[in-house]
Amino acid sequence: MSKSVDLNQEGVQVKKSACYFCHQNCGVLAYVKDNKVLAIEGDPEFPTNQGGLCSRGNSALRHLDHPDRINYPLKRIGKRGEGKWERIPWQQAIDEIAARLADIKSEFGAEAVATAGGTQRTDDWARRRFMNLFGSPNGFHNAHLCWIPTFMIETAIYGWCPFDLDIANSRCLVLWGQNPGASGMPEMHHIVDLQQKGLKVIVIDPRFTETASKADMWLPLRPGSDLALALAWLHVIIYSGLFDQEYVETYCEGFEALAEHVADFSPEWAAPLTWLTPDQIRDSAVMYASNKPGNIQWGTSVDQIGRPAGATMHARALLRALTGNLDVPGADLLTGPSQEFITDEEMEANDTLPEEQKTKQIGSDRFKMVTWPGYGRIAELSKAFWGKAPTAEWMCEAHPPSVFRAILTEKPYPVKALLVSATNPISSYGETKLVMEALQKVDFMITSDYWMTPTAMLSDYVIPAAGALERPTITSSYGCADFLLASQRAIQPMYERHNDYNFWRDLGVALGQQEHWPWETVEDAYFHKIEALGSGAKNYDQFVENVRFHFPEREYSKFKERGFATPSGKVELYSSVLEGLGYPPLPQYVGPTENEIDHPELAEKYPLVLTTGGGFMPFHHSEHFQIKSLRYLRHEPYMDINPATAASLSINDGDWVWIETARGRIRQKANLTNGIDPRVVFTQRGWWYPERDMTSPGLGGCTESNANVLTTTADKDCDPYSGAWANRGLLCRVYKADPLGDKEVS
Amino acid sequence: MTRYAMVMDTRRCIGCQSCTVACKIHNELPIDIVYNPVTTIGPTGTFPDLTLSFLPLICMHCGNPPCVDVCPTTASVQREDGIVHVVDSKCVGCLSCIMACPYGARQHNHETGTVSKCDFCKDRLEQGKLPHCVATCHQKARIFGDLHDPESEVSKLIKNNRTVQLLGELNTDPSVFYIY
Repeated sequence: MSKSVDLNQEGVQVKKSACYFCHQNCGVLAYVKDNKVLAIEGDPEFPTNQGGLCSRGNSALRHLDHPDRINYPLKRIGKRGEGKWERIPWQQAIDEIAARLADIKSEFGAEAVATAGGTQRTDDWARRRFMNLFGSPNGFHNAHLCWIPTFMIETAIYGWCPFDLDIANSRCLVLWGQNPGASGMPEMHHIVDLQQKGLKVIVIDPRFTETASKADMWLPLRPGSDLALALAWLHVIIYSGLFDQEYVETYCEGFEALAEHVADFSPEWAAPLTWLTPDQIRDSAVMYASNKPGNIQWGTSVDQIGRPAGATMHARALLRALTGNLDVPGADLLTGPSQEFITDEEMEANDTLPEEQKTKQIGSDRFKMVTWPGYGRIAELSKAFWGKAPTAEWMCEAHPPSVFRAILTEKPYPVKALLVSATNPISSYGETKLVMEALQKVDFMITSDYWMTPTAMLSDYVIPAAGALERPTITSSYGCADFLLASQRAIQPMYERHNDYNFWRDLGVALGQQEHWPWETVEDAYFHKIEALGSGAKNYDQFVENVRFHFPEREYSKFKERGFATPSGKVELYSSVLEGLGYPPLPQYVGPTENEIDHPELAEKYPLVLTTGGGFMPFHHSEHFQIKSLRYLRHEPYMDINPATAASLSINDGDWVWIETARGRIRQKANLTNGIDPRVVFTQRGWWYPERDMTSPGLGGCTESNANVLTTTADKDCDPYSGAWANRGLLCRVYKADPLGDKEVS
Repeated sequence: MTRYAMVMDTRRCIGCQSCTVACKIHNELPIDIVYNPVTTIGPTGTFPDLTLSFLPLICMHCGNPPCVDVCPTTASVQREDGIVHVVDSKCVGCLSCIMACPYGARQHNHETGTVSKCDFCKDRLEQGKLPHCVATCHQKARIFGDLHDPESEVSKLIKNNRTVQLLGELNTDPSVFYIY
């Protein structure tokens, strides 16, 4: 038996839509009749997914009209978390929220209003535009854990982040803490294709992942010890003479200082820190440095190791420069922002935020790289060289844990309102206890979401968000790419759902920002962005239907004529930008956030090393637990533990166990696997149980299996460059849960 | 005459189960029915010397299908193009075919009372489309085509690679070939 939908029936239109369940935005063909989607499938002509869709993408129609979706604006009428709501009209919600924000602004200042976002699942240049016009510098996302610190540190060193890999011409790919086999499917199939043509793949990951199982070399390092590995690679590349001498002499500054700095960081030094052998370190460095051109692919892992994160990004960035793997064919390209279409930054109205307000950005006193001090400096250099700056939303944000603390302590000043859009901070931000307390205390909270999440349950208003198939999408790497892929909405939003753009716009208009929001629809705004591409399209939908992609022709080796967007015009191996901001100009070694060498007493109590936050199918972050046709694949949360370790703790496969750190404990089921070091455990992220009672205090079991109960956001554990907190390389202990833990999830 | 076949390139499969879910959702299968599970083999070995592979399963659409032979009502049929399927209106749910199938490819559908199985998305084939599990596979680990056409991708893959038919020794002559 199989089900068949007649796609050739009269009146069916094929819309070139995009998946919206992660930011890969795979192309989707939606078969639409009378504003109803009959069927979807992967778009074979879309260059990334080429017809493929993952399990989430396939579930789009289950998501679209799921009975648990929020379809109308809701106003709280009971106590917080009691789950009593009144359905109100959209405009009433906007007017009441606007009035309250205006009151807070007049009493406490605009900075008392903060916004929380998640990953890039929204048009956040619009959020930024709203916040700039409103006057608050306190927007934030989980940006700190996902690429943004990497972007800024790499840009400090060579003037742009080389995130565009010219992989088709590459000979060696380093996947540094990335598992596209579970989190980046469109990328994974290209990698496997290229491997069959001779591409060497090195995977750096504590776990034997789907991707590691296909690699030429797998480096199972101790979680959080990436810095020691990067420094040792620098050592090998310099002292074995593997660096590109001509490139370094001609285009880099500070080589002597770097060489001296890494003189002692030999593979023998790094071996006990990384749990790798000196040979593994040496052989992998040789593989990368001698198979040119090569790439180092960014993964979230290094962004999530806390204290050593910034120094690790810094050291890793230098590897590309030493080997000359920058902006040459097959290497990592320095494209700069688009010169042809209007970038996200140009849509943000950053010049409308007064200087005085910028100085109030929470966290900017300590974590300078992704706040106004560092962003301001990078933007200045970038504008001088490229004519444009990186996106400010994401790259220049308040420090989330510090905002949560400000809500609780009123230091440095009170934060009274939190506008939450497309995130469930209880699950997705570090140190859940802190987040929970802050969300319960904040005076005024709005959540715009698809679902009644634990965070939405604590809100004063819940705003229904339009999702995949209901919104157009421009995919352009956080607004920083010089290419774009454009997709259209399949249908208008159902019920009273709105695109996040319209939420910010309507709120802005209600607060007197009318003149700054000339674009009524997302499509109007998008067309404004891309009209200059001169495609002849008269509106955004025409552009999608007739053009859809913009990939400028690659210009390689631009540095030969123009240099780099740094103060010296060269790659600054010794970074003057970092030094100017008060950071070490060369990457200094610091150990993992919690480790057995620096913290022996802690290690005695918590003898295992925890890594968490990694992606796994079929869920994305804290989403999709409601969807049965996905949830049946993984009904319950699992943690990976080596069978030898499990045996020593009397833990059998499938037992519920507690995982405990100095912050608290959670319960997941033991998955005994040889694919993890006996000294390490891995927990799944994001878990909550939407099928349970969603009212307070349980809020859908949102702390029971939530890996962020274990993570740390204390200043001492955060990366001093960016404020990124620590999900990985923490110390924990594991023990069998009580029999109550065996109860079935209903 | 066409004979439909599928090649599973286990060198490419990453065990993401997109095929499993795509089939379940688009064919609107009950929650307990799975036509095409992906099984994980490993990691085997001792850390860190490990191997890991994935084995996508599906009805083998056998050339000599035991499930068709045992069906007392002729509900289980084999088409000329090799597709083995169940004619719902003739199936009385006796489950003989479930016992006869050496691959566990048939399941009792509690909603209809009949036996359910993969039919290579035969209705989609008529519309010129590939089976859902093939179309959705990012990794292009499932390849579908005509075994009797020497120019088809499946024929070429079978010719140029080491392949195996599961439980081939039973003389079932599966239409599904595994590259390993």
